[in-house]
Amino acid sequence: MDLFGSYALLLAFAFALYAIFGGIAAIITRRPLLIKSARNAGFAVCVLIWIGTLSLWYLFYTDNYSMAYVAAHSNRSLSPYYKFSALWSGQEGSLLFWSFLLSIYVFSALFTYRGKHPELMPYVGVVLAGVQIFFLTMNNFIASPFQVFVGSGAGGILHLATRADGSGLNPLLQYPEMAIHPPTLYSGYTGFTIPFAFALAALLGRYPGEKWIHLTRRWTMIAWAFQSAGILLGAHWAYAVLGWGGYWGWDPVENASLMPWLTGTAFLHSVIMQEKRGMMRVWNVWLVFLTFMLCILGTSLTRSGAVNSVHAFAESNIGHWFWGFLLLIVLVCLAAYFKNRDYLRSDNQLDSMLSRESSFLFNNLILLVACVAVLAGTLFPVLSEAVRGSKISVGPPFFNRVNIPIAMFLLFLTGVGPLLAWRKTSVESLKKNFGFPLIGGVVVAVIAVALGLREFYVTLCLLLSAFVTLTILSEFYRGARVISARTGSNLFSSASQLTMRNTRRYGGYVVHFGMVLVFIGISGQAFNQDKQMDMSAGSVMNLGPYNLHLQNYDSTQEPNYSAERATIDVEKDGRSVMMLYPTRRFYPSNQESGTMVAIASTLREDLYVVYAGTNPDTNLPVIHAYLNPLVKWIWLGGAVVVLGTILALLPNRQAVMVLSSATAGASAPVPGGTQPAQISYSARSQLPDRHD
Amino acid sequence: MTSSRKLALICAACVGIASALVPLHVDAQKTDRAKALGTKLMCMCGCGQILTQCNHLNCPSSGPMLKELDAHVTKGEADDLIIQDFVQEYGEKVLSAPPTKGFNSIAWYIPGVAFAIGLGIVIALIRLWRQRDVARLATASSAPPVPHTAASELRDVQLERARKQADRDTED
Repeated sequence: MDLFGSYALLLAFAFALYAIFGGIAAIITRRPLLIKSARNAGFAVCVLIWIGTLSLWYLFYTDNYSMAYVAAHSNRSLSPYYKFSALWSGQEGSLLFWSFLLSIYVFSALFTYRGKHPELMPYVGVVLAGVQIFFLTMNNFIASPFQVFVGSGAGGILHLATRADGSGLNPLLQYPEMAIHPPTLYSGYTGFTIPFAFALAALLGRYPGEKWIHLTRRWTMIAWAFQSAGILLGAHWAYAVLGWGGYWGWDPVENASLMPWLTGTAFLHSVIMQEKRGMMRVWNVWLVFLTFMLCILGTSLTRSGAVNSVHAFAESNIGHWFWGFLLLIVLVCLAAYFKNRDYLRSDNQLDSMLSRESSFLFNNLILLVACVAVLAGTLFPVLSEAVRGSKISVGPPFFNRVNIPIAMFLLFLTGVGPLLAWRKTSVESLKKNFGFPLIGGVVVAVIAVALGLREFYVTLCLLLSAFVTLTILSEFYRGARVISARTGSNLFSSASQLTMRNTRRYGGYVVHFGMVLVFIGISGQAFNQDKQMDMSAGSVMNLGPYNLHLQNYDSTQEPNYSAERATIDVEKDGRSVMMLYPTRRFYPSNQESGTMVAIASTLREDLYVVYAGTNPDTNLPVIHAYLNPLVKWIWLGGAVVVLGTILALLPNRQAVMVLSSATAGASAPVPGGTQPAQISYSARSQLPDRHD
Repeated sequence: MTSSRKLALICAACVGIASALVPLHVDAQKTDRAKALGTKLMCMCGCGQILTQCNHLNCPSSGPMLKELDAHVTKGEADDLIIQDFVQEYGEKVLSAPPTKGFNSIAWYIPGVAFAIGLGIVIALIRLWRQRDVARLATASSAPPVPHTAASELRDVQLERARKQADRDTED
């Protein structure tokens, strides 16, 4: 099976080469048969990558320890669940997994648009094959997961060797979320390849109009949703596994995932300007390019060892390949831009400073500044070392100080943007739309201060969160009230109808609300408390309103690890409210230890208890407890963000009706126009002076 | 269960218990001041975490560093002197944020400079696009009216109807 997988990847590489060169020949000659064969080669590449990946999974499940990668990341007693996730736990496997996810996107895109857009798709196929070639080069020649152990026999004859058992999976990765977080995040990273390929293809092929934007909107949103969910799942994994009481440490690898998310978010907003007003064509193309480049940069940071990170793979020379690929992408993008930049020319016009267009400009500015700040902080140690010869650290104090004001401004724009009209907003309209939410926000802030809140940024965050929430609610309320008056249905039903009529707009509001919840959750960090104590059976630790009674310690033996567990009775107001079991595990296969944090989570706060180790002086076990307010809001907000994105991906209900009626009406035209209701909603998108 | 498997389990349990007793950095910071100072320093084990947050099992650095920090605080030394002492011992890398003086202070200026440049570009763009709009309006007012065809009239009627419908749907 190792040979099978290896050959499949080699064949995929050969087909990818054909997809590129055949595709280029097809673009030049315009021969339909060549176009089709290049596209079919693209399909073959994907199927062969799937075969290669399935082969590696098969090797994990059959405990084939003649394979170096399987032996390094699995062992016989590893549960089947983790044998599945072990595939991406190391450098080689994760690169193959990257190719695997990318191939799913590539196959879907080629299949969805087969036979459509004949001027564009050959270019798209070439770009996608180009990206696949790079990763297949890694999979085949630089970091193959199919390397075998070789032993030297009598007479120096080499033969295949095998091990009795593997080294096992890193304990930090033996957590259920590790089967979800990397695939989700990688789906985000790889997903941005599709809009990148379409943008570059449209530029290379001088594909007219805004078509590529329409084609890639859903792909971008899917990638963005995966990236968002991946980032939050990673944060949750760090919170639940690493045992340091936090969820975001501004680690370079975390930052690497945040940067394309920021530019991707900017793109999702600014692309609306191009759709509605034909503006910012150059900017949007470069935002997509930048997002893809940051995905590759992020991957290279994770894999090259250029920056220190707990999440990074072992240091290797693989980074040079990524830097080279990144340089190639930059050169190709620059060449395509300078060759065809006249195609991107647009007649940008702005009626007023107080307009939706302006708010999008500021939104993009803030998101890009946030990205620059994160990038600068992440790479500055490398720069400092290059200039001064000594590395420095850029840790959370820097990132928090720089990014919190930026985040507040962004939150403010989240509330302001949707209420501004396209082209121009009158002062009267501003007063009408902003009066209530602003008063609501101020009232919330005043109440918070009256209750003793003295943290400036937390108060500001609460004010802005209330402001944004009220603007969103008022948007739903205004629309729902109109529908309710017309149809007689109740407000909730009307709000539902309203949402389904324009899923993109109202799904976007739901996403904004999710972000508000995330912001509120993060603001709780200002009130974190923690305490660490040597605890013997019977001792008590006080933390906030809780008393933690340590009852006893016990040990258990599982097939893959042994565990030491503390049993803690948690009391509040003199009553026992729950039992917590923080645990430490030891994995004999790789001689490593890990913590299993006990978390009691409510909307108000998390009681987070870690069995931290043993005090060498007292020889007593040490318990570290944290009281982290509002953390659950972050995960809740993440779920709302994903739900909102799914909602925005749904087709508009009214648009579907129009399409079906229009088809029916094509054979029997209605005199004097068409049915008013159908025209009203299909034509609304053409109305330049309405919200959308 | 075979006797060899039992033996393996017992051995594993022994190793597990022994590992739980391996000395770790667990000496909590004695005072809030030590905690606050700890956030200004990085753990030097290479984990990239703040000193007071590093909880890596068997971390060789954070335990001794925290003890050192507690000792400095207990002696009543000034914050600056304590930080300086750590810098002398471990280098600037021990600081959790770049210093605000010298070459490394550039890190602090980059976001602000990026914002200023970006803001300048946005304002310049808005002004430029506003001027274009004014020019367009001036041209439009002086240009002769576009002749209406039957198709464009039908489209105008439909659009107007749609606008009115949209107005009705969104009015307060």
